[in-house]
Parts: sequence; structure tokens; C-alpha cells
Amino acid sequence: MNIFLSSNFIKWYFLLPVLIIHFLVIIFPSLTSLILCFTDWNGFGTINFVGLENFRELFDDRVFKKSLKHNLIWTILFLTIPIAVALLGAYLLTGVKRFQLFYRFIFFFPYILASVVNCLIWKYLFHPMHGIGAYFSSLGFDFLTTSPLTNKSTSLYAVAWVDGWHFWGFLVVIYITAMYQVDESLYEAADIEGATKWQKFRHVTFPMIRPTFFFSILIIIIWSVPAFDYVHMLTNGGPAYSSEVLANFLYYEAFYQMKVGYASSIGALMFVYVFLVTGLFGLFRYLGWDL
Amino acid sequence: MAICKILIILWYAFNLIIVFFYSIIKVKKKWDVLKLSKILTEEEKLYLKYFKIIFTVILFFSYTSSLSAKTKITWWNYSDEGGGLDSNLRELVQDKFNASQNEIELEIVFKDGNINDNTRTALLAGVGPDIITSSGSSYVKAYHDAGLLLSLEKYSKEYGWKDIILPWAYNTGVFDGEFYSFPSNYETMLYFYNKTLFEENGWKLPTNLKEYEALVQEIRSKGMNAFVYGSSGWQPTHEHLVGNYFNTYAGPENVYKALTGEKKWTDPIFVESIELLKKHMLDGYWSGSLENYYAIGWDDYFSQLTTRKAAMLPIGTWGFGDTIAGFSEISDEFGWSKLPILGNYGGNPNYQLSIGSTMSINAASKFPDEAAKVINWMISDKKRVVELTKNLGFGNWLIPLKYDDKDFSEDIHPSMRDFFIDFSETTGKGDYGYTTWTFYPAEAGSHVWKEMEVVWAGDISVMEYLEEQQKLWDKARSKNALIPVGKR
Repeated sequence: MNIFLSSNFIKWYFLLPVLIIHFLVIIFPSLTSLILCFTDWNGFGTINFVGLENFRELFDDRVFKKSLKHNLIWTILFLTIPIAVALLGAYLLTGVKRFQLFYRFIFFFPYILASVVNCLIWKYLFHPMHGIGAYFSSLGFDFLTTSPLTNKSTSLYAVAWVDGWHFWGFLVVIYITAMYQVDESLYEAADIEGATKWQKFRHVTFPMIRPTFFFSILIIIIWSVPAFDYVHMLTNGGPAYSSEVLANFLYYEAFYQMKVGYASSIGALMFVYVFLVTGLFGLFRYLGWDL
Repeated sequence: MAICKILIILWYAFNLIIVFFYSIIKVKKKWDVLKLSKILTEEEKLYLKYFKIIFTVILFFSYTSSLSAKTKITWWNYSDEGGGLDSNLRELVQDKFNASQNEIELEIVFKDGNINDNTRTALLAGVGPDIITSSGSSYVKAYHDAGLLLSLEKYSKEYGWKDIILPWAYNTGVFDGEFYSFPSNYETMLYFYNKTLFEENGWKLPTNLKEYEALVQEIRSKGMNAFVYGSSGWQPTHEHLVGNYFNTYAGPENVYKALTGEKKWTDPIFVESIELLKKHMLDGYWSGSLENYYAIGWDDYFSQLTTRKAAMLPIGTWGFGDTIAGFSEISDEFGWSKLPILGNYGGNPNYQLSIGSTMSINAASKFPDEAAKVINWMISDKKRVVELTKNLGFGNWLIPLKYDDKDFSEDIHPSMRDFFIDFSETTGKGDYGYTTWTFYPAEAGSHVWKEMEVVWAGDISVMEYLEEQQKLWDKARSKNALIPVGKR
């Protein structure tokens, strides 16, 4: 009885409401979903256990394979372009003295806009009849005469462009915050040595912001898995599944095909992937890698 | 009433919080939980006493007033504030119904997002509204199979609904011989066209495939798109075209046979229908090219039609409102027509049958008789039904009743009146087809539009597409998951 009244336990009583909500909203549905992936539930009627049938069907499904490939491409795209732009933008911004806050706002603004707004903006910019292409056509140039969102070979990259445009502002802010933590005396020493801007970035800035950089790598890999909103709103995975990703495929299977069990198996594989990635990072840290 | 309930809940919450924290402290210090008064000052005890008296009075009045309250019926519907749906349903249905009698209080709750997701979650939890809205027969079938809907058979007999509702619409709500769902909106596919443009150029609406293809070339030679249509913002748009070609090339009789299992979807007549659709799509019949078709959305349809960038718009009756509005601002006139028959088996020009949304009664409803009274009130006056759908541009709440000329007021647009009457007459004669989104089971129905892009991209053949479609039908048939199709 005294243990339950000790000050260590009292803290848990105050955490209880939040833990209950977390259990009801996050843990219980997640566990239910993991169980449902072994059933053929359609979301309404009886739940029948089907073992690993969903996974067998999934590994034969051409759309699943395509979606998986697109998620990997998405991860590679987001590990390169937004990071490069954000690092460059953040480094240049640290050198700006006047109106720095304004420039930071310009970079960050797309991130605070709702994804629906971003999608509508770019849909109209890409529109073949009243977008950028139509404007250049009126000047006699053939540029973006068809929307890249409607072309099989460019749709995935076009969606990634829109999502990347909204995302790199977030990276700029976290990198610039990390860059401001770097000791000024290191830059002074580098100046004395006659280092160029690039050498200062390579030998001073980047090593000092490495923990933040690897943190950004980790969150990009994890957040690439449930990428959904931009794909769903811009192309819904089309045309012809050329921009289909796992989360959008899961949504289609659950809510249009009414195959909740099958959709849960997709979710289970996504969870396993994220778990492995997070575990890998944890393992590297445990092994003493400086991440 | 709601404020009283909130105050009562706050009062109990307040008491619970006080007891919770004080009991933690008192148990820890080994104080007696019940002797709360020992730790309060005299002034604090007086305030607490007045607090309790006020809320007890409120509690008393709220419970006594609840005894004489009306029976509350809740109805969940999807929200479309921008389209005027919410305000019109509130004004013309909720407020008018509540004012017409004293026993029932109807509350329509408008849900953002997908109404089916909200409803499904609530029904599975054993709660939810008394009156349920769904997006069509495939949802009703799923709810019925799960035992979530109340049979409306006794109410149908009591109120005579079978005699008021169009037979084909009534039959889509019959499962296992009993009536479960009430169609609250019907739709069909038509053409809208720029009548003035047609007259200036001496064009005539096509009546067969040869005339159809010739007209398209003629229009395109003038630098216009033959049709404006596209799937931006609504990928399931593809199913409209599939349904159009099935019903006008293969014909409603063959579609009926495939729906009932007498024919297979891999039959040559259906392969030819989809091959023709693919040929026309890749030829740029709709919006000039496949890529443009994917980029064009609702906003572009009417702007292109009214600015003569396109001559025709193949769309459902939900396009009436914006077409009337668009042409009212220009000097051109519009016309509408049934779809032309493209194949030898197409039969007579027909209307494809479709239910846009349905209403049912929750099996867990505590007041089913009252819910049925609400539904009956809604359809018992055809003038009221027409007024509601007129306010919504005839794109919504077009309840499939047996209308005639006298049901329409003088201010209805003549095109709308002509359509209502022609639809009743044409479908009454048996000249009707079947839309995919009403008569297909869920998996097969979504496969129709999702995989159509793959056919157009050339990644799978038409035969492979129809073979996959047939497999899904066989699966639905084996699970008894088909949507009822009335006898022709």
C-alpha cells in the first residue's frame, strides 16, 4: 500500500489520463490493426482468421510491388534534394544580417500552409490551360504544355517536388538552429587559417551539426513510409499507379475495396520497416557510432 | 437543454476533481476522506454550500424538463456548405418538419469528410444516428449483411412507399426480400451541349457510332475540343465513361446479363466496348488528350463549355445546376440529350440508373417509428421534394419519385422539367441501363475506375482488365455480396 502512495507512484496518477487517451487512440488501434492483418475483415461483418493469406496475396500484388518501389524512390529523393537545398539555404541565411527573419519566414511559409492549399496552388500552376505552361505557350515557348502530374514518367517526381517544396523549409529551420549553436571561436580560428566559405562549412559547420543532420536523415526515412496526403490529393496514385505509394494503396484497399484485413497487412509491413530502421539507428548508436 | 447538461457534467467533473486530489493528499497524510469539512474554512464551506444549491436546482429543472421533451431523432448527412446543402436541409427539412408537429424533434448533423467512415465507426460501436446516410447500395449491402440496418418493410407497407418510389430505385434497397434503404438521390448520365454553337455550324446530335466519330472530327477541325471532361480531383470519373460505353455499345440487356451472371464480362461485346473507349480516349476525344483529361476538373467543365473551347460535356445530372448557371450569363443556349447509341446491341436511347445516396434506419435506433415518420414526411409532398432539389441546383436530393407535370412549380427551368418527365417516361418503358457505382459490388466497382488508367497506359490489355473484373464478380457472387438488380 505504501508503495502506491510513494512520490514515484503519485507521478503516474497524474500521467494516467494522458496514458489512457494514448492507449485508446494509439496503442489499442495499432494492436488491433496488427491482429486484423491475419483476417479477411471488410470493416462491417464477421471477422474470419485467414492466417498469412493476406501477406501471400500482397507479395503477388503488382500494385504493392510498384508502391514499395515508389516509396524507396521517394526516400532517396527526400534524402537528397530537400537536404541539399536546406543545408545551402540555412548556411547562406546564417551569413545574412538584415531581414534574416523575413527570409526564414519565406522558407518556412510553405510548411505552415495546409497541404490542401499547397496542392491546389501547384495543381493550378501545372494546369495545361491556365498554368505556367499556358503562360509560356502564349509567349511562344513550349514549356510544361502538359501537367507533369498527369504524365506516367513524371507524376511521382512532380508530387515529390511539391511535397519537397513544402518540406525543405522545416529542414532549413532545424539546420539553422543547429548552426547557431556552433561556437563562433571555431569560425574565427578558421578565418585566421584562411579557410574559404566551403572549407568552413565542410570542416566546422557540418561536423558540429552532425547530430542534427543524422536526426533529419532518420526522420526523413521514417516519414517517407507513411507519405500520403500529397500523393492522394495531387494524383491519387495515378496515372496508372505511376505515383502510387504504400499509404495511399492502404487507404484505397481499406476504404474503397473494403478489405480492411488486407490493408492492415500493408500497415503491418510499414510498421516493420520503420521499426527496423529505428532499430538500426539505435544499434549504430549503441556500437558507438557518432550519430 | 444542452447548456443544462453541460453544467451538470461540469458539476460532477468539478466534484470528481476535488475528491480525487483531496483523497490523494489525505490518504497520503492518513486523513479521513469523508471529513472534507475539517480542511475548509467557514467562508469556503459557505461558498461550497451555495455552489451545490445552485447546481442542484439546475439539475432538478433539467431533468423535469427532459420528461416533457420531444422524441429526438438524429440524422447524419454529409456536409456541403459551399453547395448550399447544409442550409437548405436545415431550413427546408429540419426546421419545417419540427414546425409541422409537436412529438418529434429532428436534428440533422452534418459530417465533414467521408460520411461513410463516420457512420461505419459509429454503427460498429453500437451507436450512431437514427437515420443513416450512405453513398450507395454497396454500403447498404455491407451494413445489411452486418445486421446494422432495420428492415423498413413494415413502414413501406404502412406508408405505401412502393407506390411512390420509382420501381427500379425501390428494388435497389431490397435485400433478402425486404426493403432496407431509401434512395435519397438519383442520377443518370447525359450530354450537355452548346445548342447555339451547334445551330451556327449545322451540327446534329449523333445517333450512331459513325455520326458520333464524324461529329467529333468536325468539331476538332474548328479548333475546339469535342468533349470537355476530366478526372482531376475525382479519379472515379473514369467509371462514368466505362458505364457510358457499356450501356451504349454493349447495350443494357447485355449489361443486365453480366450483372446477373448470365454473361461474363470477358464476352467479346464488352471487350469491343472498352477497346472503343480506349481508342477514343487515346484519340483525345475528352479535353484533347489523355494528359489533359487527367488535368481537367469540375471548374473547367462549365468554363470550357460556355466559352466555346468545347462543344459537349458528358456528365451526370449533377451538372444541371452549374450548366444552367453558366449559360444564364451568356447569350448562348444549352441543350441536353440522352447518350447516343454506339453499337448494334445498344437498343433505344436510355438513361443509366444510379442511386447517389441512400437513407436507412439504424437497427440500434430507440425510436424507429419516429425515424420512419421523418422519412415519410420528406417524400409525402412531391412539391417540397422538387423545391429542395431545385435549391440545390438539381445535383442533390433528386429523390426518385413518380413525378408528372403538376408536381413542378412555374419557376423550374424548362430543361429540368423536361428531364424529370422524360426520365420517368423513358425508364417506365424499360429503356434504362446500369451505372457501375450503383450496381457493382465494392471491389469490382472500384476496380473499374482504378484499373482503367492502366488500360489507357497500355500496361495491361483490355482482356486482362476484364478478366480481373470477372474474377472480382465471381468472388462477390461466392460471398453473396452482389447488389440487387430488379428484373427487366
